[in-house]
Amino acid sequence: MIGGPTAVATPETSERPPETKLTPGEWVRKNLFSTPLNSLVSILFGAGLLYLLVGVVGFFITADYQIIRVNLANFVVGRFPRDQLWRPVFATGILSVAVGLTAGGLTIRAEALARETGSTFRRSTPGDWMRRFWPLLLMIAVMLAFTTTVTPTLVSLGVIGSGVVGNYLGRLLPAGARRWGWSIPLLGLAVAYLALSGFGGLDWNQWSGLHLNLFLTVAGIVFAFPLGLALALGRRSTLPTVRAISVTYIEFIRGVPLITLLFMAIFALGFLLPEELRPGNVTRALIAITMFEAAYIAEIVRGGLQGVPSGQVEAAQAVGLTPWKTMRLVVLPQALRHTIPAMVGQFISLFKDTTLVTIVGLTDLLRVSNQANAQPDFLGQGLHFVTLAFVGLIFWVGSYTMSREARRIERRLGVGER
Amino acid sequence: MTADTYTDATQAAGEAMIQLEAVDKFFGDFQALKDINLSIGQQEVVVVIGPSGSGKSTLIRCINRLEKHDRGRVVVDGIELTDDVKMIQVVRRETGMVFQQFNLFPHLTVIENVTLAPRNVRHIAKQEAEDLAMTMLTRVKIPEQAHKFPGQLSGGQQQRVAIARALAMQPKVMLFDEPTSALDPEMIKEVLDVMEELAQSGMTMIVVTHEMGFARAVANRVVFMSDGQIVEVGTPEHFFTDPQEDRTKLFLSQIL
Repeated sequence: MIGGPTAVATPETSERPPETKLTPGEWVRKNLFSTPLNSLVSILFGAGLLYLLVGVVGFFITADYQIIRVNLANFVVGRFPRDQLWRPVFATGILSVAVGLTAGGLTIRAEALARETGSTFRRSTPGDWMRRFWPLLLMIAVMLAFTTTVTPTLVSLGVIGSGVVGNYLGRLLPAGARRWGWSIPLLGLAVAYLALSGFGGLDWNQWSGLHLNLFLTVAGIVFAFPLGLALALGRRSTLPTVRAISVTYIEFIRGVPLITLLFMAIFALGFLLPEELRPGNVTRALIAITMFEAAYIAEIVRGGLQGVPSGQVEAAQAVGLTPWKTMRLVVLPQALRHTIPAMVGQFISLFKDTTLVTIVGLTDLLRVSNQANAQPDFLGQGLHFVTLAFVGLIFWVGSYTMSREARRIERRLGVGER
Repeated sequence: MTADTYTDATQAAGEAMIQLEAVDKFFGDFQALKDINLSIGQQEVVVVIGPSGSGKSTLIRCINRLEKHDRGRVVVDGIELTDDVKMIQVVRRETGMVFQQFNLFPHLTVIENVTLAPRNVRHIAKQEAEDLAMTMLTRVKIPEQAHKFPGQLSGGQQQRVAIARALAMQPKVMLFDEPTSALDPEMIKEVLDVMEELAQSGMTMIVVTHEMGFARAVANRVVFMSDGQIVEVGTPEHFFTDPQEDRTKLFLSQIL
């Protein structure tokens, strides 16, 4: 079943197989030392793991984190002017409110749906939220541990607080918000962009650090998604020209590595365009990323479209819906729902792929890490492992959070239960 | 029996709602319909039977242009089906269809399934469309399921929603393509009951089915098809008690 919240049937207690409760000692004996060979393997792997663990933990305990403490702002916002830091702070707050509003709106919608279909719905408690976003909270805690003043802590609390406020406001949204609710996150992005760039702010071509990676990811998704959707529909078009253009584009782009496209955008675009039309380097990278992602998104959407049974189209046609409305109201909602797992996988790899812009000379998080190690205070002290671990933590938290949220949405929509 | 005789018989019953003249349909090299001539009057209930692969489904799918016929004429309520997309839309608006696999929209609730076309094709206001939908759901006896999703309903309930969805467009003709073939035996009756009531209300219906009891009780005429051709047409009494063609006799001996 898809669409509705799922009712889980609880089997009678008597129907359940008898549960065997093992004490930790029994569990170890049963699973790790059941045979001599098993014991040997367990001991060998256990020793290896212990050795690794001691080494890694020892390293992180004894490591000198001064390089991160000094460069924390560089990692997060890069070269953003320090007297303008209110801009990224304000932008983050706005995005937090937008996310909160969206989440709140979705909550009341899910509640209304559950009421109508007669299933139960439980609102998330603050505890649920903390369990849900523990990686994110862990990352914020780690970052705050490296701060020297109280301001960043207050700012973080302010951002989280604005998300909470947004969430409460979102629950007050009218039922009609279902139709325009999708514009809230987009509006949030637009306002955040204005806060960063407008009114004497910093053009996105000057952005750097984690800020740049996040921008490339979000803007890449926002621009590539509609393009990818159009390409997927174009590939199924009945017009031979449209089909040929779509297929050629998709197959060409998918046959080229992203790094090649980035090089072409940065170094070749300059030759093609007259000087006054040449976009900045971040814009060029964004063009390359958008073109690249669109081709992959198109293929994901195509897969989703193929998964919609032809009977759905026939039923829509039979009641007189035009081909366009059939696509928009019947086929796409079902197709996109089934693409969520693949789509999020693509977004995760996009987030990580944004580090490739280091190679074409942009100052992203990875480059900040390298630059920090080139500072006179830290040069040649072998601190790469420290900074890279920090960068790795940030990417892991971002990717893991996306993947957890995707699995949650999947469960909610019942994807994969058909 | 020739094409002319049953055309005359129909016209006596009322003005022709659906007219098929010398219709041929090919799937590649395979000829699915061969020289189909059939005229169906207003308020007439025609049941189409025949072995699988005989072209029954293709026949009714040509009436709302889910399949494009290759030769001949298909005229529905005075509108001939051609490549003219506008005219196809008009015919589809006036023709409801019920499928073997229900084909409800799984991402929409029952009431959204029923209001989708009235709102987006007929452009009826939301409240009015919902009132209309509730009327139709009451007619198929499941108003209480309006806010559930199709996946939460039984097969028989889903098929009745599908009937309500088609009726909400207030069609002049209803096409049924083996509406009970995918149902568990105990659910067949609830769907057939709804269809019988619909027939009694004066709806023009073409029903492809294997339910001989329904054909006997409800049909004005029974059409027997085999190998893409209409073999025999007659009233249920004639058809079941005194079939003329050998192929009909063979088919009836196998199923009855």
